[in-house]
Parts: sequence; structure tokens; C-alpha cells
Amino acid sequence: MTLSEIANGKLAPRTGIRLDNISKRYGDHLVIDDVSLNVEPGTVTALIGPSGAGKSTFLRCINLLERPDSGTIQVDHHTIEPGKVINAKDLAALRRTVGMVFQSFNLFPHMSALKNISFPQQKVLGRSKEEADERAMQLLERVGLKDKAHQHPGRCSGGQQQRIAIARALALDPSIMLFDEPTSALDPEVGLEVLAVMRELADDGMTMIVVTHEMQFARDVSDTLVVMADCRIIEQGDPRAIMSDPQEDRTRRFLRAVLER
Amino acid sequence: MDAFSAVLQGLPMTIVLTLSAFAIGIVGAVPLAVGLSSPNVVLRLACRLFVDLVRGVPIIVWLFLLKFGIQVGTFKFNPVGAAIVGLGVVSIAYLAEIYRGGLESVPRGQNEAADALGLARGTTFLRVLVPQAFRIVSPSIATYLTGLLKDSSIASTIIVAEMVFQSQAFARQHPTMEGILPYVLVGILYIVLSLPVAYLSRSLDARMRKAVYA
Repeated sequence: MTLSEIANGKLAPRTGIRLDNISKRYGDHLVIDDVSLNVEPGTVTALIGPSGAGKSTFLRCINLLERPDSGTIQVDHHTIEPGKVINAKDLAALRRTVGMVFQSFNLFPHMSALKNISFPQQKVLGRSKEEADERAMQLLERVGLKDKAHQHPGRCSGGQQQRIAIARALALDPSIMLFDEPTSALDPEVGLEVLAVMRELADDGMTMIVVTHEMQFARDVSDTLVVMADCRIIEQGDPRAIMSDPQEDRTRRFLRAVLER
Repeated sequence: MDAFSAVLQGLPMTIVLTLSAFAIGIVGAVPLAVGLSSPNVVLRLACRLFVDLVRGVPIIVWLFLLKFGIQVGTFKFNPVGAAIVGLGVVSIAYLAEIYRGGLESVPRGQNEAADALGLARGTTFLRVLVPQAFRIVSPSIATYLTGLLKDSSIASTIIVAEMVFQSQAFARQHPTMEGILPYVLVGILYIVLSLPVAYLSRSLDARMRKAVYA
């Protein structure tokens, strides 16, 4: 079985997400300036750009960890306008549809790997402990960490923790996965384990939005490359096309800086 | 009666005062700690004002105010009631501050992960934040408890018959060198009483350290 089949018990219902005119400011400081993005079901979107461009903030706006000041988010027949009052049902539906993986993993340190994955299923989806544990074990096996089931995160390496975090998010059957620099806190070799899991997930047809500095991954795995700089999207399209022939000067400078390192 | 028996007579009251006030504090501090980190400015400031007011005034003053300053209809505090309420309220204020510090020291990513997973606020608080915060604050709570044990002696000033009160009574009846003896004994007793708390705290801490990082 593939990762997302295990995650969903069947093939994932393919869902896309559409964001229109998202803006966000902290006081006088503009961080997201009227950004729109349409992600087709089953595609991988890589979000790259210099730090401070607003990539992570934009990603966090998608599941409302950051509350945009204006714009609309459309996912799975729900339209959310973050500038207005958000009702609890829409928020719950959004968070159920969208899973997230963080740069710093954010596993619960007082729970075993198994419980990290099992506990949210019981609380959010109302699964029984047996069912949730079984699902958790399948996912752990799939990310190659079955033997770590009863270890606490503190006893796992960074790469292992991140794979557990991916399993935790997948256990809730998301149709879209957000990755916020999932390998940035890892040394390069360990990062590969995580990228391998993400590749597999992409091959399964999971809709993914990935903020990353991993150019190879962006080129090989993503369907769409989005370049952000200065709080907005400056260029987007086919990753190979953009990387070999960027249209914007800012993109060119950024790519040169990353690729010629 | 010898000095040791005199001091021991006060032992049950010292324990009752300490544990009652501690129980009031442990429970009462929970809502106050939540209020102290509430996004609602009015609520937060009200809680902050309460904590600073309670902590800003010496316990002995609170006990006198409660014992002699409060009369509602025919109701007046008896000495023990005033001491328990006074020490309890002070405990609420101190422990709330300890709880708040613990909750704030849990990394923000924990809250974000719980939000992203769609966990309910209450679940996040009780199952994610509190267990981690408790691990952080349990040594401070134990330290507070040993402090409270000693502060309970202030109740002697409003005529509560705890250990120090009994020591004073004995000393008054024996105005010779023997009069110093109960104070030596009571000092030793306070140390002995605080030992199990320190021990419990250390073993609890070790157990939880193991639970979190094993």
C-alpha cells in the first residue's frame, strides 16, 4: 500500500485549494501583499524565495495559524474570509482538510511516537484507541520507524522526529499537506530520509505545498514552482523552466545565490 | 509537660494550616493563571492587579486584616479560618504566577501543532500544555510548599495554636534557659517536615524527566 492509501484507508479524495488576494500586516509592517495562489488537486507546489519574503507566513495563513487581514480561502466547498468572523465549523473543516509539518517538528515531547500519532486521531476524528493505534503503527512502519513506536521524541533523531511528525499529520486523513521548511533544521544527510518520504507522498498524488530551500526537490518533485520575494509572488510556473530561464531579475539573483553556493 | 510534647501539640494544626492553604492554592491558581495569560486585556489586568496586591502585602498584615478587619453581619473569622483563608489566598497568587511561568515556557510550536491538528482548545490545554508545564514547575511548587509550611507559623500572631504558638506558650511558662528549648525543637521539626516534600519533589521530577525523555 502507498502512504496516502494507508493514511486514508482508501485513495485520497483529491482536493485543491484556492487562495485569493491574501494580505497580512503586523502593525505597519506588510508581510503578505495581495497574494493569490491556485493549487490543483494532486499537485505539488514548491514555494521558494529569500528569507523574509513571507513564504512561511503565507503558508501559515493557509490553515489560519496566521490570520490574514483580507482575502479568501476556498477549500473543499468551504469558503473562508479571514478578514471577517470565521465560524468554528469552517475552521474545523479547514484544519481537518489541511495537514501541516513544521520546521521544528513540534512533536509532543511527553508522548511516545505512537501516542503522538494516535492521540490526535482519537480526539479529532473520534477513532477508538485500537483503531487509532493500528493506523499509527501502519504509518510508522511506512515511514520506517516501527521500532520507535514506544520511544519518546527526545530519543529520536531529527530526521526520525520529522518522519513521525509527517505520520502524525497523515493519520488525520488530510487531502492537502503543508510543509514549512521540513528539512531546514536537519543536517543534509538526515534531510534525505524526510525528502524520500515526501517524494513518495507526492507520487501517491497528495496535494502538497512545500516551503523549501531544497532546489533539487523543488525541481524534481514539484509541478509548480512559486517564487516569493518582498511579500508577494513574483514568478510562478514550471519549475524547470523557471530555474533554467527565470523571467524576473529578482528570481535570477535568488537562484544564482542558491544554486552557485 | 516537657518542651517536646508542648511543641508536638501544635503539629496537627501546622499540618492542617499548610495542607488546607496549599489545597486552596493549587486549585484556585488554575483559573487565575489562565486569566493572567488571557488575551482579554481587562481580565488580564484584573488578575495581574489581584496577584500584585496579594503578594505586595506581608502575610502577617493579611492575617490581621482578615481576623480583625472583617465583619459581615454577625460573621467574623475565627483565628483558624482567617489563617487558612489568608494563607490560601496568598498561595493562590504565588502559585498562579508559577503556573503562568510554566505555561509560557512551553514552546509556542506546541500550541501551533495542536491547532494545526485541529485539537480543541480544552484538549490542547489539558493534554498538551499542562503536562509539559507541570514538569517544568513541579520543583517550584515543592519549594513553595516548604515555604508555606514555615509561613504557617505567622498564624501564631492571630492566636492559632500551631507549633510556634505552642513554643511561645511553653517559653512564657519557663522563663529560664529551658525556654529556648522549644524553639530549637520547633526549628528541627520544620526541617524534618520539609524533608518528605523535597524527597517527593525530587523523585517526581526524576520520574517525569524519564517519562518525557526516555
